[in-house]
Parts: sequence; C-alpha cells; structure tokens
Amino acid sequence: MTVLTKQPPGAPTSAAAGGTPRIRPSRRRKQRSGYLFLLPWFLGMLFTVIPFFASLYLAFTDYNLFTEPNFVGLANFQAMFEDPRLIQSLKVTFIYTFVSVPISLAVALLVALVLNRGLQGLSIYRSVYYLPSLLGGSVAIVMLWRYIFGNDGIVNGFLGIFGIQGPAWVTDPQFSLSTLIVLNVWTFGSPMVIFLAGLRQVPGMYYEAASIDGASKWRQFRSITLPLISPIIFFNLIMQLIGSFQTFTQGYVMSGGTGGPADSTLFYNLYLYQKGFTEFEMGYASAMAWLLLMIIAIFTAINFIASKFWVFYDN
Amino acid sequence: MKKTANTPISRRLVLGAAMVAAGLTISACGGGGATSSGSGSGGNVELNFVFWGDANRAKMTEAALRIFEKKNPGITVKTEYQDSAPYADKLATRFAGGNPPDVLAMANRSLLEYAQRGTLADLKSFPELNLDKVPETTLSRGEVDGKLYGLATGVTTIGMVVNKTITDQAGVTIPDDKTWSWEDYAKFATEVTQKTGGKVYGAGYDVATETGPIMLARQRGEDFYTKDNKLGVSEKTIEDWFQYSVDLRKAGGYPPAGFFEQIGGSPAQSYLAKGTVASQIIPINNFRGYNEAVEGEVVLLRIPGETSGERRGYSADPTMLWSIAAKSKHPKEAAKLVDFLTNDAEGAAEVLTQRGVPINPEVADSITPKLSADDKTFVDLMAAIQEEDLPPAYVYPKGASVVADTLKQLTTEVEFGRISPADAAKTFMEKSNAAINK
Repeated sequence: MTVLTKQPPGAPTSAAAGGTPRIRPSRRRKQRSGYLFLLPWFLGMLFTVIPFFASLYLAFTDYNLFTEPNFVGLANFQAMFEDPRLIQSLKVTFIYTFVSVPISLAVALLVALVLNRGLQGLSIYRSVYYLPSLLGGSVAIVMLWRYIFGNDGIVNGFLGIFGIQGPAWVTDPQFSLSTLIVLNVWTFGSPMVIFLAGLRQVPGMYYEAASIDGASKWRQFRSITLPLISPIIFFNLIMQLIGSFQTFTQGYVMSGGTGGPADSTLFYNLYLYQKGFTEFEMGYASAMAWLLLMIIAIFTAINFIASKFWVFYDN
Repeated sequence: MKKTANTPISRRLVLGAAMVAAGLTISACGGGGATSSGSGSGGNVELNFVFWGDANRAKMTEAALRIFEKKNPGITVKTEYQDSAPYADKLATRFAGGNPPDVLAMANRSLLEYAQRGTLADLKSFPELNLDKVPETTLSRGEVDGKLYGLATGVTTIGMVVNKTITDQAGVTIPDDKTWSWEDYAKFATEVTQKTGGKVYGAGYDVATETGPIMLARQRGEDFYTKDNKLGVSEKTIEDWFQYSVDLRKAGGYPPAGFFEQIGGSPAQSYLAKGTVASQIIPINNFRGYNEAVEGEVVLLRIPGETSGERRGYSADPTMLWSIAAKSKHPKEAAKLVDFLTNDAEGAAEVLTQRGVPINPEVADSITPKLSADDKTFVDLMAAIQEEDLPPAYVYPKGASVVADTLKQLTTEVEFGRISPADAAKTFMEKSNAAINK
C-alpha cells in the first residue's frame, strides 16, 4: 500500500523559478558532499530504474505473474483501444484532473494571498492549511471522508437543517467522483505553501510604486503579483497535474478497491492495479503504465510550450 | 522537471515490476538457501500458513495449531491473516514473487485462477493426506481434470436471517421458510417496511453477491457455472434477479438507491445489527456472529423459492478451500497440516464451525456436543438441507472473480436506474463470457 500512496513533494522550487545558478569551482568540495548526501537516493533509484525497464519489456508480453512471459508485440496496446473500462478510467481521471487542479490552484493562491497580508500567528494558519495535503492521500482521511459524506454524515446533516435531502454522495455514481474532487481541492496545502514562498519573493517596492501611481489592488494583483509568481503557478500546475493523473489511494479506499459505484471512481491507476493484481494481466497493466507515462508527458509538454506565452521569468 | 514527471510513474510500477524483478531473483535461487531447515536430522520445519478472517477466527485457529505442533514435533506453523480483500491481493503478489505460503486458504472463485496456472499442488499426490472420509461431492468442488487443488475447509451455504424482534413488534408473521417463494418474501418484506412506518426496511440482502443469482439459477434448472467450467446461467435469470430488486424497491420492501454504504464488513457492522433492515442473506456459518451482534432475536431461514422452482437451489458449498503451493519447500509437512485440519477431531474441537461444517463426517459428529446453540442451528440446517435431493454443483471457472466484479458494477447501475435490468443482464453475459472464455 505504501508504495502506491501519493508521491513525495517534487523538485525544489528554484528549478522551476528559472534555472539553477552556475556552481563556481570553489564550491567543488561542497558539491562533492552534496552528492554524498544524495547517495541513498541514487541507491534507491536502482529499485526504480530496474522495474522501470522491466515494465517496459513486460508491456510487450502476456505476463500473468505466474508463468514465464511470452512476447506478444503490440497486442496489449491494441487491446486497450477496445477496452471500455480503460476508456472509462481515462474519462474519470481526466474529469478529476481538469476539474480539481484549476480549482485547488485557485483556492491555494487565494489562501496564500490572504495569509501573505501579514496575519498574526501566520505559522499556525500555514500549518493548519497545510496539514490536509499531508493527510489527503492517506487511508484514514479517505475513510473519514466516507463518513462525512455518508448518508448520515455531517454534510447531509447540515443540508438537513435547511430541509434539503442530500444525495448519497458516496454510493451514487452521479456524485461519488465529485466527492473525491472536493477531497482533492481540500488538500490545497502544498501548492499554497509554495505560493506563499513565491509571494514573499515579490519585492514590496513594486507595490509602493504602483500605489503611488494610483493602481487599484486588483490592478496590482494582475500586473505585479500574477506575472511575478507565474513561474510558481506553472510549477504548481505541472506538479498537481501529474499528481492527479496518478491518483490511486482516494479511489481505492473510497470504493473498497472496485472503482465503484459503477466504475464512477475507476481512476486509471486503480484500473491498472486491478488488471495487474486481481486479473493477473501484468503485461497489460505494464502497457497501461506506459500509456499513462505518455499521456503525462504529452500534457507536460503542452504546458511547457504554452508556458512561453504566460510565464514570466524576472531575471 | 521531466525527471519528476518520470519518477512517480515508475513508482506506480514498483509493485508490479518489483515483483517481477524480485520474483526472478527469488525463483532463481529457489531451492537454495531457504530449504536448509528441512535437511538436518531433528531440524525444525517452519510452515507458513495464511488465511483470511477476523481476530476471533485467528484465535481459534492458533489454538488448533498448537495441538498440531504438539502432535508433530519438529514442525512449527507461522500464521498470517487479513481481511479477505487485502488477503487476495497479498496472496497474488506472494505467488508472483516466487515466495508463496505453504498452506493457504483459497476462495472458490479464485481456485482455478491459481490452479490453471500451475501454482498449486495436487492434494491427491500426498500420502500424508487422508481423503477416505471426504464425500465425493465435496472433493469435486476443488477438482480439475482429476487433480485436487483445493480441499473444502468445511461446508456451508447461504440462508436468510430475519430479526424476529422487529417483525414481532411490527406484527408481521414470518412465512414458513420451507415452502416460501420469492413472491412471499417480497410481500413479507414490503409489509415490514409498511408496518414499521418506513423505519425498518423489510429486505436488506446484497444484490451484488453472486451466491444469490447462483441460487436462483439452480432453482430454475440452470447451472450458474457448468461442469465444463463455463457460464451456464441464462440472460433471463440475471435479468429477473435485477428486476426483482427493482420491483421490491419500488414497492418499498427494499431500501432506496444509495442506502447501502458499507462494503463487506463484519456482522457487527451490518445493517441488520444497526436495525435498519429486518432481513439479510448471509453465509450461514456466520449465523452465530449475527445473532450475537444484533439486539433481539435473529432466526435463520432457508432461501425463498426452494419448493416453488424447478429443483432445489441449495448445495453444500466449500466455505473456502485449503490449498498447498506447488512451490512449497515443505510439501510433506504441508500435507500433514491439511490432513490435521481435515481429519483431526481435537483440532476441530478448537475451530468448531468457524469455516463451515467439517467435511469428515466423523469429525463433524465429534464436535456437535461442543457447539453453542447458534452454531448448532447452523449445523442442523446444513444437515437438513443435505438430506434433500440436491443437484450437483461445480468448481468456479477461471475468470469467476471478474464475473463477481461485473455483477457488483451492474448492480449499482441498475440500482440508480442508469440501465434497465434487461440491458444489465445482456452486458453481464457479454463481460462474463469474455472473462471465462479468455
């Protein structure tokens, strides 16, 4: 299970914020000890790289976990086109991603802006808002979510006060995915913290100059804040996009591993897991993994190309 | 950035592909270091024994195993247990990794998935395992092509449990279960809902569990799974199974769509225990658990339709099956353990009917005096059913777990009115046949 939970937070923000500074020769020694510290990661990489290539091979086989794999060429990839559940899983994953990522980024930015106004006890607020994103992918929180949105849960209890009969959020296929989208939006903490760091970098003099010129707050936000933090937005966008394409735990726990009700929460990775471990079609599952890699690569590439038109690097 | 895009992907693959990598290395050195324990004289053999269930089942099993260890010096048994869903996942990875347990509990629907991939040993090949007392009909439920891959841990079947305290208070009489039809059950359930003012729904059986339609098919003279391991149920029967729940819901006897949220779960977590439904279908070896979990008196009844159909729907089914991994490093000792679990009265006295009625009739008789009243109710019903003229039942085919998943998915679609029972039945046939014939 732990292997399948959410990936750790990605690369340092500086990389996204426009190229690492060149390292001077005098820093060689420091660099060396840096690599030393990275050693465990390199060793760990072995456990990633080997399976990585193994799965590439298996994608072209009929491997079933028990008997020796036979090479089948592109059969797995061909079968995908005729697999209605695969299409369904793509649909679920795309809806989830394209609805929840923009919303959670907007919420994250909004909260970061509010927190950036120099509130007292900022660190407490920051922690409080950050906490859910540490927990969001965990089994316990998804279980809690099931209860909150359950038929007798808090949400329907609240709606009941106003005489509204709430729907079956978890068991009705019409609502189950939106319940998970809300969960994902709620875990806006990690992009928020990154936004907050980015907002702190915006020099105050720009705002001073702008306000002397009579620019409204909204104008300042649009013309100063947004352009200056656009690399951060870009970074968060990419990370959130990749993360949500790979959603697994939420769907698995919410539906008890089935992707139900009626495949409405059949995330791509959940289906991949079912194929590999309940139907024992590991060759097909490997092929699916590579398809997902390609999909993510394409969307990342599109974003990188598009970023030229809206991301502003101030250096 | 590109790099961060790649790594998590391979993370996803870790489970799958790591198994491959690990599997290759482990199987490559299989037969090497790990077997050392068995060779020395007086050396200790450690068997790995896995099953699914709750803490109570584990406790009873452990007590029996201590007796086994006492009777078989030099063998120790290390157990692991989980809930059924994670158990199934873990079992698959262990087999794939070339590190299967020696003795394991197998679900009916998974047996052939494993057996037909050559991962299980033929239990008939072990002289240590005495099968003389086991009825042929029981053996046949773990047999493929003359080889025995799974031996029933005990037999059970499904039954209807009704909370009699609720029906008494509502003033509804429970029909005679020996002769009641599905129509009688529907009428009964609807009446319960009406007379409790909608506080309790009369029926709360799980439409999505395959044992229900299997029973209905058998009553209609169809074999859900046939002798030659195919799908034998007709589209009409599946449609009727769905339609029945739709009609019952419309009449008020069955809860509205979305009512059931709990997936699986113990008797204590059941809706019967919560008191929101008055009846439920259960594997009857769990009767005691339900009666203890429910406030009030629970009665155990037969499934409706047994006398109104073409033939009896009942069969004595393996609760689960014992299997031995083909790659077990201690097959002899493993066979001894399965023999103990099947034929030893002292061991059975600890486990009682946890995994169904023991398949060795002598063992079953020997534990009868030790049973609690509820367990005795179960055993008596099981015995009464077995005295009747029951049609044969067969091993679940490969792909049966996909059939089960398909049924679950379509049940929800029907529940929320997204497809008609007729369309659901059609899809069920297509998907199930595809999975079985693959």
